[in-house]
Amino acid sequence: MELLPPFHVATPGSIAAAVAAGRHQEASRFIAGGTDLMVNLRHGLGDPAALIDLRGIPELRHVGTTGPDGLVIGAAVTLAELAEHPTVATRYPAIAAAATAVGAPAHRAAGTVGGNLCLDTRCIFYNRSAWWREANGFCLKYQGDTCHVAPTGKRCHAAFSGDLAPALLAHAAEIDIAGPDGLRRQPLAALYAEDGAAHLRLAAGEFLVRVIVAADPWPAAYAKARARGAIDFPLAGVAVALRRSGDDVDGLRVALTGTNARPFLLEGTEGLLGAPVSPAWLDRLGRLVQKQVSPMRTTLLAAQYRRRVAAALAQRLAATLGGAAVVGDAA
Amino acid sequence: MTAMRNTREVVGQPTPLIDGIEKVTGQAKYTADLPAAGALVGRILRSPFSHARILAIDTSAARALPGVHAVVTGDDCAFTYGVLPIAMNEYPLAREIVRYRGEPVAAVAAEDEATAAEAMRLIRLEVEELPAYYTAEAARAPDAVPLHANKPGNIERAVHHRFGDVEAGFAAADLVREQVYRCAEIAHGQMELNGALVAYDTARDHLTIWSTTQVPYYVHLMLARCLDMDMSRIRVVKPFVGGGFGARVETLNFEIIAALLARAAGGRVRLLLSREETFLTHRGRPETEVRLKLGMTRAGRLTACACEVVQRGGAYAGYGIVTILYAGSLLQGLYDIPAIAYDGWRVYANLPPCGAMRGHGSVDVRFAFEALLDSMAGEAGLDPFAVRRQNLLSAPTETQNGLRVESYGLGECLDWVERASGWTARRGRLEPGRGLGMACSHYVSGAAKPIHWTGEPHAVVHLRLDFDGGITLLTGAADIGQGSSTVMAQAAAEVLGIRLDRVRVVAADSMLTPKDNGSYSSRVTFMVGNATIDAARALRAQLLAAAAEPLGVPADTIECEHETFRHIGDDGPGLPFADVARAALAREGGAITAKGSFTCPVEFQGGKHKGGAVGSTMGFSYAAQVVEVAVDIDTGMVTVEQVWVAQDCGFAINPLAVEGQMQGAVWMGMGQAIGEETRYERGLALHGSLLDYRVPSIVESPPIALHIVESIDPNGPFGAKEASEGALAGFLPALVNAIADAIGLRLETLPVTPDRLLEALAVRRREQRLARELAREQTHAQEGVA
Repeated sequence: MELLPPFHVATPGSIAAAVAAGRHQEASRFIAGGTDLMVNLRHGLGDPAALIDLRGIPELRHVGTTGPDGLVIGAAVTLAELAEHPTVATRYPAIAAAATAVGAPAHRAAGTVGGNLCLDTRCIFYNRSAWWREANGFCLKYQGDTCHVAPTGKRCHAAFSGDLAPALLAHAAEIDIAGPDGLRRQPLAALYAEDGAAHLRLAAGEFLVRVIVAADPWPAAYAKARARGAIDFPLAGVAVALRRSGDDVDGLRVALTGTNARPFLLEGTEGLLGAPVSPAWLDRLGRLVQKQVSPMRTTLLAAQYRRRVAAALAQRLAATLGGAAVVGDAA
Repeated sequence: MTAMRNTREVVGQPTPLIDGIEKVTGQAKYTADLPAAGALVGRILRSPFSHARILAIDTSAARALPGVHAVVTGDDCAFTYGVLPIAMNEYPLAREIVRYRGEPVAAVAAEDEATAAEAMRLIRLEVEELPAYYTAEAARAPDAVPLHANKPGNIERAVHHRFGDVEAGFAAADLVREQVYRCAEIAHGQMELNGALVAYDTARDHLTIWSTTQVPYYVHLMLARCLDMDMSRIRVVKPFVGGGFGARVETLNFEIIAALLARAAGGRVRLLLSREETFLTHRGRPETEVRLKLGMTRAGRLTACACEVVQRGGAYAGYGIVTILYAGSLLQGLYDIPAIAYDGWRVYANLPPCGAMRGHGSVDVRFAFEALLDSMAGEAGLDPFAVRRQNLLSAPTETQNGLRVESYGLGECLDWVERASGWTARRGRLEPGRGLGMACSHYVSGAAKPIHWTGEPHAVVHLRLDFDGGITLLTGAADIGQGSSTVMAQAAAEVLGIRLDRVRVVAADSMLTPKDNGSYSSRVTFMVGNATIDAARALRAQLLAAAAEPLGVPADTIECEHETFRHIGDDGPGLPFADVARAALAREGGAITAKGSFTCPVEFQGGKHKGGAVGSTMGFSYAAQVVEVAVDIDTGMVTVEQVWVAQDCGFAINPLAVEGQMQGAVWMGMGQAIGEETRYERGLALHGSLLDYRVPSIVESPPIALHIVESIDPNGPFGAKEASEGALAGFLPALVNAIADAIGLRLETLPVTPDRLLEALAVRRREQRLARELAREQTHAQEGVA
């Protein structure tokens, strides 16, 4: 275990106080569960002067369906609380499944919704000790200028590895962001950029306050490929929300994680509407997924596997939600 | 002396470990928990280079930093260390050349962690890089630079053994098949991280070390050698240890470095390694390629075996010579094989050194053997169980390479797992994607010939009757969680006819306990168990002599049961233990110490051929297992649904611990089979955490149905043999055999990760498509001709 760098800790009790703390502290980082950030800090990934702990802000700790907005999830709600919430467990099974798929029980007891949505991107050349990274000449994402995954390129390919994002994207979730310029609401999808070194579109001092999900969700499910049934980050994670009209699919959102620098909604799904889920339909879905995911050598398991399994999981979920018993060819 | 009683009161009873309460309540003190007030913080600076000549190490700035008490480099220790006297080629801190990324080059002792870290940053290492080799193939290339000047071609050891007429054997076979199998390098993944606390007394030139070791005696030897100190000036203490699995069966660099630092600083130093550093210290199972050829008759009788093994051993010798010898010698001792050819090569490469690991040397070869046998059984239309039964040994016997088999319960193991798994009724009738596979395995109960020859017995135990009537058992055997202290206490209590809790065990403190070679090769129950029985019999004789006068009968007509001494056959009140103990203490003039010992007779120490001692033992354990899997061909995920395992451990002195060890062996075999592997990026370990090194989680852990077979070995303590390694190797082939049963795909590479499985399925589909196209073209061509 390596030594943590020294830092101050602020514990604001309101959104305004947290914004103020962020404004006052140069090079501060927001923290909630710390299951990702603390590990990274011990690896020498970052050297913040201050950590601003968001867990003491009441609005961020709330989850419920009381308002007109549908389901509202505070950013500092833990993953265990989210998964166990009765409304989430019964009406939003994809979200509950995604929350339960994170890490192990101890991670979920501490880790939060905001933390999982704002998880740092991961790579076998980045999530390493300081000694290791120095021996390897550092990397494009931090302290270096070469991407060891694609040395000729100029972009970081570290993969986004949160489980919750695809489930929320499949529900077309929106988020509230607080910062020096006040509060703003935007689609969750707009939070992310396809750049492993700068995948979050958050300005300095901005943080996630809450997630809003529509009150009448489409049937949805989440599936995660990983080497072990616990602990592991997703090699690929897929959420599918599928609404039917009779036998035909009349609404479809497919969202992916673990394959790119950002979680994203699959494009071109409108071409799959107006038809029932059939082997041919699933083939088209599988090809769409394989074409849009771009896994690179950021995990120890093969990138090609992540492409294959992302398609297979999307097909499996769609087949189940679409009422078809047939699953297409994973390869 | 009275005969051994027929009924067992203490041994054979499921017994919670005598130190279990301390562990589960958190009171047990492991090395990192020991009071370390005033201890300096030790840190190791590691080479970022794979292979380089050291030109200079400038430590002046680090030494000048306030709060730094000592900085040591290779200049501070000119002595090599190593576990094999013939292959000590490692320095605790590199001298002249570094040979792997992560090799220690300097170390600091400072007042706190921050100062130690800053001191490390101030050390300048200047090198000239050399070509580096990360595969056995690259290291063996004709133009490769030798890692060690005396080992051209980077071959640490080549072994060529021939037993029986191999050519005639293959000629007599109806079916001959050859296949290459590959196993990734793996690590032990022991729970407790490496660490040592060392106190050096400058005034007395005396050093005490508390370390995470399985072999306190070897640590003692190597510290004396590397610090050039008389052994009597060193005390080695083994606190609670959180697992070993072979990672700690040789002295490790951090132990010597901590001692060098403590002496240089003139005080106490605590050196705790991170998980990454523990992985870099390594000593795991080497990456292995096995080319195996078997000959079999139509009836399933083996006629010949030819086996080539290449092990990538890493940068230093360690146990390497023993590992490559085990790989060949343990081809034998499980089945009756008329002729065997074995060629093995242990190869140096610029990676952390490999070493011994549970099932040492035998596991990857057993995987290949049982997988090929399964495949050939299928081809011959024979049931896998039937093929094994065709080739059973008959004890007592001696194998062609001089291994003695005195007890052999494999047949019973096969019978039980076949029945319990419902093999006959279920195999071939499971739902799609499900399959059953089986395999056998074995392991030694202690290496019969010790590595360091001292002329002393292989095991010595002291039993002391103290003034309070307590029996103190003093042993150098390291209990590392496997429960050896409990077994020794049971053995002593059984022979003496006393309560288990009258025995208190002091284990592995060189100031108090007799020398023991250590906890490796599953030797402790067998050897130290026998020594304990010997000591207990000696103490019993003195107690019986003391009881003779008050009972008024000759000593050899007295027995002690339930702490009561009686004339044999007499059912009167007898004499309580306390009275006899008091009489004995008075009679002997105070505390009575009885010594017991054990030595493996020379006829058990293996064949006369070079390397023949490796694999020799007084008793082999045997295991058979059936594994049931479910294979998801869309995701490549393999789920182990259930395991049935039976093991012949001779006699279960502590059945509760035997069951735990069997479960652990199966589980560890599963880890190697489905997920664990080390990975390197140009020599940099990519597996340095338990996130990247994928030991199974509880989710993957299957139900394991167990059965203990007791063949009562004629030489084992109460008939016992080893119980913790034998069942490991069988899991690997049973898994791939089950996958073959489930989806018809035979895998030759471990671990079976989901990406490898999907890739293998994709390759098979391509091959099937090509075959179909070829067949279609041929049909078209024939139609054209017609």
